[in-house]
Amino acid sequence: MDTFIQLTVDALTLGSVYALIALGYTLVYGVLKLLNFAHGDVFMVGSFIGFGVLQLLGGTSNPAVPVWVLLTLVTLAAMAGCAGLGVAIERFAYRPLRDAPRIAPLISALGVSFFLANSMQLLFGAAPRNYDTFALSNGALYLKGFDVGDVRVPLLRVITIGSAFVLMILLWLLVNRTRTGKAMRATSFDREAAAMMGIDIDRVIVFTFVLGSALAGAAGVMFALRVPTQVSIGFVAGLKGFTAAVIGGIGSIPGAMAGGLLLGFAESYTQGYVSTKWSDLVVFSILVAFMIFRPQGLFGRADIRKV
Amino acid sequence: MRRGIGLALVVLVASVVAGTANGGQRTENAAAASQAVSCKGTLKIGIVTPLTGGAGFLGQEQLSWAKYAVKTLAKPLGLKIQLVNGDTPVEQGAAVAQTVAQKFVADPKVVGVIGPATSGGAVASTQTYFQAGIPTVNPSATQTALTQGPKKTGSPAFFRVVPGDYIQGPTDAHYMIDKLHVKKVAIIDFQEPYSVGLANAVESTLKKAGVSTVRLSAPNTTTDYSAYVTKVPNDADVVFFPTQKPPDAQTFAQQLLEQGKKAKVFGSDGSNDPTAFKVPGSYVSNFAPDITGIPADKGLINGWKNDNPGKSVGSFGPPAYGATQVLLNAIQKACAKDHGVLKQRRDVLRQVKHVRIKNWILGGSFRFSTKTNDPLNAKFYIFQIQSNGSYKLVA
Repeated sequence: MDTFIQLTVDALTLGSVYALIALGYTLVYGVLKLLNFAHGDVFMVGSFIGFGVLQLLGGTSNPAVPVWVLLTLVTLAAMAGCAGLGVAIERFAYRPLRDAPRIAPLISALGVSFFLANSMQLLFGAAPRNYDTFALSNGALYLKGFDVGDVRVPLLRVITIGSAFVLMILLWLLVNRTRTGKAMRATSFDREAAAMMGIDIDRVIVFTFVLGSALAGAAGVMFALRVPTQVSIGFVAGLKGFTAAVIGGIGSIPGAMAGGLLLGFAESYTQGYVSTKWSDLVVFSILVAFMIFRPQGLFGRADIRKV
Repeated sequence: MRRGIGLALVVLVASVVAGTANGGQRTENAAAASQAVSCKGTLKIGIVTPLTGGAGFLGQEQLSWAKYAVKTLAKPLGLKIQLVNGDTPVEQGAAVAQTVAQKFVADPKVVGVIGPATSGGAVASTQTYFQAGIPTVNPSATQTALTQGPKKTGSPAFFRVVPGDYIQGPTDAHYMIDKLHVKKVAIIDFQEPYSVGLANAVESTLKKAGVSTVRLSAPNTTTDYSAYVTKVPNDADVVFFPTQKPPDAQTFAQQLLEQGKKAKVFGSDGSNDPTAFKVPGSYVSNFAPDITGIPADKGLINGWKNDNPGKSVGSFGPPAYGATQVLLNAIQKACAKDHGVLKQRRDVLRQVKHVRIKNWILGGSFRFSTKTNDPLNAKFYIFQIQSNGSYKLVA
């Protein structure tokens, strides 16, 4: 039972990060029908921005501000930095290709991905960056928390999972309860009709990139709070986020959340109960199964066309 | 039908072109291998090590000591030596070592190589160096099969100045048995030659002593070890973690504490980095002692510190100094035998085995074993991480 609880905590931690990445994919796809393959690298850049801000604030061994302020500032800085990066990517890599055949922005997305990964390596090197959060408050984030049975759920996990769910709820409220969200949904439903109704499409698209990239920045920090980050993490993280988005139904916000969590559970339980070697095989087999038997994903709608 | 024939022709032409290109490369390498080089001119030594990436600390340390060896030892031996770098980040796998090897082999002035630093890189490139007659003197590749055993992976051009895992594995295991009195040990490998060989060596020694073991295997790209930590039994005393990425050892040790597991992490030479792996109570083994405790090395250390202000003496650099010293002596011997003109690079290779060094940087004297290309009577050392993060020699 303890193993099950521990694996569930692992799954929630992992899944909530995947869900945040998947939301970026799904938001952009929903509005632009574009698979933004540079999104994993935005996640990576977010983790590096967080690291830089952490060092500016004195690092974890000698922080200039209280721990909770430090973590909040690091996360907000990464979100802001990634939001700016998202705007730049949209402006220079995707907007000029908006009316081009669909393969063109896809190739542009891959190009941006390579550009970001290689630029980061040139600028900062390939060495891993460790936030070393264990040094904060003498390891309190790891050693304190609450117990479920004999399993300790450390504060850092609580912070990671809690923050991810708060961000997901805020996103859901924004999309479903605000005018901007309504404009996003209208643009997603029919871009041309939305434009005719007076919606500023460019603005909506830029805002979508801001949202998606900011979530990737937050996910990057949440990931790097627990494990060292490096320039190569973007590829795998992006692939997992994309898988989660497809499983949930690309374009569907609740789908991305569910897909991310499902992926986290699949990966964690496979590692725990089947074999640590097989987790990626199982994860990508699920993707293949969905592509064959339910291509629209868990929450997506089948694309019906009048012929 | 026509299309099929056309396709077959394209494949045929492509094969011929590729074959010609390969043949051209071989001819070029053969020419470089047999080209005579004057010992009065500048000769080159390659150093193949990860200068960037997760193990970049290791490569930079090795490079600084190899530079210092060239600076202080080449002139007294009557040699002009230029050190040339080959960066092999561990994240890019072993194949990059082969690319570097081809570059060095094509340069007739490269007469010897320090490294490649990792066992995987050494295995990948050893035949290329041997075919070109270039000796490689290795300061850190410890895989047993590189020098011995029925499935020997190293060529006759492979030499190392540090002992292999045939010593490290049993040394670590015996320390766990005799000093830590372990009952159960979890062992992790990373699905690459270095860690698998070492994990096997530790596991077999522990099993022979009746210690219960649990074997886990993680891909080399793993970043989050939570699931592996979950699989470590609550009553395990030690987790043997032979990574080549010290930050991963730190993450694993922290995640053990996070899950309230009592097991201590026992890292190998690949995780020996006081700046990255510093969870108190953990252990690491290494092929070199702390040379700051060797009185005969005092002048040498001061000289190196003058050239590298602010840096501290680690465990990976001194063997690189030793490897460079061995190679320089072999070059000097070959030059003397060839009367000042190296007829071919293989002449240096023939001399490596005969090198003897009286005042060895790691203590005592140095010579190779007559049976293998390993150092004679070398041993591994074990350190425990203290509460201030420093490494204390415990065995």
